[in-house]
Amino acid sequence: MRWLSDNTIEHLRSITDDPDFSATKYKVVKEIARGGMGTVYLAEDIELGRQIAIKVLNTPELDSGLARRMVREAKIIARLEHPGIVPVHDVGTLPDGRVFYAMKFVRGSRLDEYAAQVDSIKDRLRKFQAVCDAVAFAHAHGVVHRDLKPQNIMIGSFGEVLVLDWGVAKLLPAASSEADTLILPGTNCDVRTDKPIDTAHGTVIGTPRYMSPEQSLGEVEQLDERSDIYSLGAVLYFLLTRQAPIERKTAGATGQSATTVSIQRPRELNSKISKAAEAICLKAMARSAADRYPSAVEMSADIGRLLDAEPVSAYRENTVERIGRWLGKNRFLVLLVLAYLLMRIFFILTAKR
Amino acid sequence: MSKPLIGILLGAVLGAFDGLTAWFTPAVRDQLAGIVVSSTFKGIIAGIAIGFFARKFHSLPIGILFGLAVGAFLAYLTARFAVGGYYFEIMLPGSMVGLIVGFATQKYGKAPAVAHG
Amino acid sequence: MTIRSNMIILKPQMDPDTDIGGRLHRFPVTSHSAIVAARSDDLEVRQRAFETILTSYWKPAYKYIRLKWQASNEEAKDLTQGFFAIAIEKNYFARFDPTKASFQTYLRTCLDGFVANQKKSEQRLKRGGGTNTFALDFESAEEELNRHRVSDGITPDQYFYREWVRGLFTLAVEALRRSYDEKGRSVHFKLFEAYDLRDEQVTKLTYADLAREFSLNSIEVNNYLAAARRDFRRIVLDKLRETTGTEEEFQREARALLGIKIK
Repeated sequence: MRWLSDNTIEHLRSITDDPDFSATKYKVVKEIARGGMGTVYLAEDIELGRQIAIKVLNTPELDSGLARRMVREAKIIARLEHPGIVPVHDVGTLPDGRVFYAMKFVRGSRLDEYAAQVDSIKDRLRKFQAVCDAVAFAHAHGVVHRDLKPQNIMIGSFGEVLVLDWGVAKLLPAASSEADTLILPGTNCDVRTDKPIDTAHGTVIGTPRYMSPEQSLGEVEQLDERSDIYSLGAVLYFLLTRQAPIERKTAGATGQSATTVSIQRPRELNSKISKAAEAICLKAMARSAADRYPSAVEMSADIGRLLDAEPVSAYRENTVERIGRWLGKNRFLVLLVLAYLLMRIFFILTAKR
Repeated sequence: MSKPLIGILLGAVLGAFDGLTAWFTPAVRDQLAGIVVSSTFKGIIAGIAIGFFARKFHSLPIGILFGLAVGAFLAYLTARFAVGGYYFEIMLPGSMVGLIVGFATQKYGKAPAVAHG
Repeated sequence: MTIRSNMIILKPQMDPDTDIGGRLHRFPVTSHSAIVAARSDDLEVRQRAFETILTSYWKPAYKYIRLKWQASNEEAKDLTQGFFAIAIEKNYFARFDPTKASFQTYLRTCLDGFVANQKKSEQRLKRGGGTNTFALDFESAEEELNRHRVSDGITPDQYFYREWVRGLFTLAVEALRRSYDEKGRSVHFKLFEAYDLRDEQVTKLTYADLAREFSLNSIEVNNYLAAARRDFRRIVLDKLRETTGTEEEFQREARALLGIKIK
């Protein structure tokens, strides 16, 4: 048998993985990212002359859970038409049997890269508010993301914010329907997207530092929008401190065996963070779901109030803080009035002389 | 709160305050009541003019300049008819009051809703 | 330890009658995995499973023993045969737990354990007077070792994996050639051989060159190559599936195998 050299092996490994789009209107330009489920390529839509991103399943099993999961992901994203959610253009099957879907190609940087480059907390908060709005839209359509983290959020080159990677999203019961079927193009395979790819109890899905306590315990049935609220709080924590949330374990008092797990307060890491911002973050990251914001809409509204130097629902100001906030919000007017008063005092003093 | 109303309130408060500072000038102390009333009235007039200007034209620099001009003009008229020739002492604070009202009416207050169709 | 005379003699899969399609059909329909089939109650199924595993792993095992254990070629031959003999006799493969490690890692660990014991034990493996129990082509394996230098800095584990990949791809190339020969599409294979199997030392051909050589146009060259690569991929994945124990392990190994550089 022919001996295959190392270089030939490497060549074969790369070409056999290259997706064959010859029967489609797409032309692969290069590989962008490789994940557990599939590989994402930069491609060109030859008909429309635009660049797109294509996610291709790694292996060609049409009847596998992975293929169903990927089509389900495409379908979930496709029904969420929002400027903050990456749009899906197409879904199909390659000649070699691998499922793919085509989506908008986002030029820009991930939120973690953005946070490293941008010093202004206000700018970071504005981006975060846009994330909340996108997530709120998804929640309104019965979709819970379940894997929100800075690495799954993109900031486009024009400052647009896009939430990516809905691969582990959950459809809340009200949003699923029996009529939800999809025949995979090029096959006779009926992929019922709501059939159990759904996670069994005890399965942990998400990213540890950003997942809610109930998610980390695998309490799949309890997961709802408030799990995403926790993750949003963790993303906010990252934006404020440039670090993922740090857990602190405090041993119980004498006689109590339980260890309390709490998050290190953001202001302990960065004292420039306002108390109101910290309060919003910690409210979202409350261990009990009942103590968090009930919706992403309310969280977004509080962020908006914070940006407008208005009082936020998560933090109760005292009088001094209220005055300080008002003065800060109206500092130019205050300076003008002070200048006027100084001028008046000057005239008074010079008049006496 | 509408922009003209902000102008009126701020103009009145600053105008009254402006008038009260006349107490520190012994020569006019006995006319204090009249000074306060006229100064307040001047502030209100300035506030109305500047407030309605802000309602119509939304530009912070132009609003400030307009306020400055109105304040200076009204202060000039006051100084012209005042005894003692306190032009500088009247016009400068008066202009400043106009500037402040001009800024505040541009920045704060509800603009009228734009009619559609 | 002596090789028992009543042991079933297995032949590695170099027999043209036992190509990938035929082999798959003879495994239980619930699984395409030889690893799973190794646990079958059916002797014939088990035997075919052992053949598949032997085919995939004997050469990497031999080279690994030569490299890691610094064994001479004769010693390595005995150890390779001895290992697979005992692995089949005691059916080590049935004990494999895919949740703990990949099958490769498991097999390599068993191999290390076997060789270490042999080196320690006073009862050395006795050769059966020149009998090549499994009819393995050790000469070609030795020739490959001598002709092709081992890269600097590569660990024995990495070497084992690389040789296993080389073996897998070699078998896949052969299976592809046979398949195309049977279908009368030898041109497809020749194009694939000329373009994708070409040694890096030789000047790379262009599609235009191939079109001229095979009297085709560029579109045909492109399409034939695409088809051959698709079929090659399918065969590689089928062979990979045979030597993995679970779907998860298969997905993991497929991801590792395709597209990512190994040393």
